[in-house]
Amino acid sequence: MNKDAQMRATINKKLIETGEQERLKELLRAKLIKCGWKDQLKAHCKNVIKEKGLEHITCSNFDDLVAEITPKGRALVPRLCEEGTFSKNKNFPCSVCQPLR
Amino acid sequence: MLLSGGPRGRCTRWDPASSSSRCARGRESGGQELCCRLLCYEQSERLLQESLQMKMEEMSLSGLDNSKLEAIAHEIYTDLVEDACLGLCFEVHRAVKCGYFFLDDTDPDSMKDFEIVDQPGVDIFGQVYNQWKNKECVCPNCSRSIAASRFAPHLEKCLGMGRNSSRIANRRIASSNNMNKSESDQEDNDDINDNDWFYGSEKKAKKRKSDKNPNSPRRSKSLKHKNGELSSNSDPFKYSNSTGINYETLGPEELRTLLTTQCGVISEHTKKMCTRSLRCPQHTDEQRRTVRVYFLGPSAPLPEAEGSVENDSFDVAESQALMSRLQWDGSSDLSPSDSASSKTSTNNSESRKTKKKKPHLSLVGAAPGLSSNKKKKPKPPAPPTPSIYDDIN
Repeated sequence: MNKDAQMRATINKKLIETGEQERLKELLRAKLIKCGWKDQLKAHCKNVIKEKGLEHITCSNFDDLVAEITPKGRALVPRLCEEGTFSKNKNFPCSVCQPLR
Repeated sequence: MLLSGGPRGRCTRWDPASSSSRCARGRESGGQELCCRLLCYEQSERLLQESLQMKMEEMSLSGLDNSKLEAIAHEIYTDLVEDACLGLCFEVHRAVKCGYFFLDDTDPDSMKDFEIVDQPGVDIFGQVYNQWKNKECVCPNCSRSIAASRFAPHLEKCLGMGRNSSRIANRRIASSNNMNKSESDQEDNDDINDNDWFYGSEKKAKKRKSDKNPNSPRRSKSLKHKNGELSSNSDPFKYSNSTGINYETLGPEELRTLLTTQCGVISEHTKKMCTRSLRCPQHTDEQRRTVRVYFLGPSAPLPEAEGSVENDSFDVAESQALMSRLQWDGSSDLSPSDSASSKTSTNNSESRKTKKKKPHLSLVGAAPGLSSNKKKKPKPPAPPTPSIYDDIN
């Protein structure tokens, strides 16, 4: 699926170039904080760290932590936030796709 | 995740490590239905709707792109979420490394101390709500059991100390003084206006002299020489700072003694005897005679050897006899609405001013003239009084 990959690459590039990526990122972050996602995930982090031990976290690979946190984080995103951002995301590809075609 | 647990049951979890193209493939088949569902969610935003319209158009153009677009959009979304998670992880990791991650936590001991209490009869801090309500204290003064919350004010009143109790007591004294004053004759009020120093308090006086000693020498002149008598008999007389005496409680002997020394005329307002001297200017001799006759019988010794004129009924003949006196002292009892005593005083003043008027005119003129005279403050006329006795004698 080179075409798809190509398309996707182009879109990503456009996203970053136009600054849309940054804007969408900030938007999503703000939404997540507002709906309490960040605090929830932080509490989860605390639990994980307490389980594993403080030293372990600092000494061990950072990726372990990431691997623990990210799935939970993704799961915790509330539906409303998700949909809002998702719909916004759709605009961009459309606008990008048109000129490409 | 939007797609997780969907009706198609496609890939439930995103694995960042795996290639996204694999998942995108699975979604292509049910893309259209998904698109419709997503469309419902976007109704709140106008721009999005526009874009969707565009998308619909695009759909008509090429079905392939639609699902791909969705896939791409979803990818973008996923990336964003991951980015957010990563950001949080960085934060946490740095906090742990620097040692401030757990700073905002309280230690378990404090947590236990300040835990919310959820027991009956106790508030969330563990304090008993109505602990002092049911407790009763025994007052050392009156030996009554008082509720705890009411104990302090009760003590204040019971012991007679404290700001409020003294204030109330003063007010009570003043009001009792006032009551007596208001109940007594209007002439007394006039006299009050005249002789401020006679009585302890005035109605309108702001500076109350209610703290005056009832036996102080500044008390009513007439009471001076009666102090010896009255102070010993104060209880049966119900003296209590009043100018009058309640004659109902007196026995005949006491009455006689009283009547020989005092004016004794009973005021219409207060039903009390006047305690002023025998020559008190507020009452006429006729009134005094009436009182003595009333109490002690027709053979009562009268204060002055006045003669046989009776004053029980105010006949015309009497009025004529009275008229002769009107010229200088102007006693008249013709109009019943006003009290006799008040008329006397006002007529005294009038007579002084209108000596040349005819007696009947002055009598008639007495009534309307009263209201105007009331406001004036005539002093007890010393000159006319000897004239009364001159007439009698």
